Amino acid sequence: MAGSQRNHKLQAIAREARRAIIEIAAKSKTAHVGTALSCVDLIVALYFYQMKISRRNWSNRDIFILSKAHGAMALYAVLMLKGLISKKTFGGYFQNDGTLPAHLDRFTAKGVEASAGALGHGFNMALGMAHGFKLKDEKRQVFALIGDGESEEGSIWEGALFASKLKIDNMTAIIDYNNLQGYGRPRDLCSYEPVADKWKAFGWTPYCVDGHNFSEIISAFNKSHRGKPKVIIAKTVKGRGVSFMEDQLKWHYFIVTEELKEQALKELA
Amino acid sequence: MRNTVVDHITRLAQKNKDIFFVSGDAGFGVLETFQKNFPKRFLNLGIAEQNMIGFSAGLSLSGYKVFIYNIIPFLLYRCYEQVRNDICYQRLPVVLIGIGSGVTYAPQGVTHYSVEDLALAKTLPNLTVCSPADPYEARLCAQFAAASKTPVYIRLAKKGEANIHAVAPQSIEEPIVLQEGKGIAVLFHGSISDDVVKAAQELPGIKFISVPMVQPLNVAALGKALENIETIITVEEHYVIGGLGSTVADWIVDEELPFKLQKLGIKHSFIHEIKDRDGMRTFFGIDAASIVKAVRKAVK
Repeated sequence: MAGSQRNHKLQAIAREARRAIIEIAAKSKTAHVGTALSCVDLIVALYFYQMKISRRNWSNRDIFILSKAHGAMALYAVLMLKGLISKKTFGGYFQNDGTLPAHLDRFTAKGVEASAGALGHGFNMALGMAHGFKLKDEKRQVFALIGDGESEEGSIWEGALFASKLKIDNMTAIIDYNNLQGYGRPRDLCSYEPVADKWKAFGWTPYCVDGHNFSEIISAFNKSHRGKPKVIIAKTVKGRGVSFMEDQLKWHYFIVTEELKEQALKELA
Repeated sequence: MRNTVVDHITRLAQKNKDIFFVSGDAGFGVLETFQKNFPKRFLNLGIAEQNMIGFSAGLSLSGYKVFIYNIIPFLLYRCYEQVRNDICYQRLPVVLIGIGSGVTYAPQGVTHYSVEDLALAKTLPNLTVCSPADPYEARLCAQFAAASKTPVYIRLAKKGEANIHAVAPQSIEEPIVLQEGKGIAVLFHGSISDDVVKAAQELPGIKFISVPMVQPLNVAALGKALENIETIITVEEHYVIGGLGSTVADWIVDEELPFKLQKLGIKHSFIHEIKDRDGMRTFFGIDAASIVKAVRKAVK
């Protein structure tokens, strides 16, 4: 498939995923919509382009761990579009006696690879899995999506410190760099930049991309990183795709009302 | 006991190619054989406890049977949330081998004591907690943990402990009677066993029972072992709150049992005393003489 055609297809899937996120956020009246919208293109690119994952070859599938698990609505939406969870399961998100919690529980649905929610956990599990697969000669790739705010956790840097020494080159970390965390901007709160240099100093191979541009995301996926772990620093916009949510701190928390839902869906038509 | 456990796992690792050992920069003089024999299945993940647990959870998810070895505060406290979320919540068959139980390392200071580890471990569903009293029990704990499909915590002191049981017990899943008796039973677990044995020798006719599996407490078997008993005295090298004594107290209350209960343990305060382990045990009233005194008082 030609690049532009492929990108159109991915954009269409991402639009569907965004619509599903808005719908379910409104139904469940839950927060973290902005987060889900900032990372959804990255997750779409993983599941619909990069990862080897199918029901037929389940035991050899690539692994994706959503370490910034408050973006779970994005993962659930993509899993539904991929056919790994049913519409009914998706619809039970955050419902009383429902199916899926706001943060990940691996026992709830196929395709939820690791339980997560507290930040700075999934990344380290991804490293351990990748190392395990390598030792077992399993040709499986592991991807972990972490937040920029999440990168303030010491555990991230503990893992980063050991990963390059262990030459974990079947693992890719992706940073959803939307520069908005729970109560401020990482760049204002800590010495977040120069983030690429930090990872490089820890022995990783960093690539900086526009996290909403499929050509750039895929190009970074395709870059070889033999002998070293890779980190893709994806510049994103919180709330991307819905104009009134974009780059707004409040959309870490706000609830999508019926009225706002209609407005958002119109933009995502 | 730590050598008993590690040697057993090292032997198993010869056949079981999924056994993996992770150290948090501990294990000098203990882990070398494993490391030498199975270099690919050994990792020292350094002084980075959060990553140590999370990474091990990942190894477990990839199919390895992971044993993590560290001093207890750096196995359970520093990384409690990782143990909770990554291992116990995900019900992974990871084995946490903790050394330095109680005041083993006194007078290293509070940072290196583990007098509240059972209180923490008991908050964790899915986690089996083993506290062997001698190398016999330690070996059984290692066997149990190696076969377990769910998380296990093994609480150990150090090396060189003597066997307390005359014959090797068959299972750690039920209480093990050290000395028969009636009226009063002393329940204990773990490294305090050497003081308990000394006390038992002075107290013929008093029942002494080792409880190597602190969680889940096998109350059916314990109830049986406590027939003809009116008074239970628990003794442990742990805070007097949150350990075996508290579990037994809960059991008595929950099931409205007619036992009198006395709990011997370390007073619930930060330890500023500078004493060696035995000095601490005497000071906190869990040494052999204190156990004898408590039993004699209960007899009256």
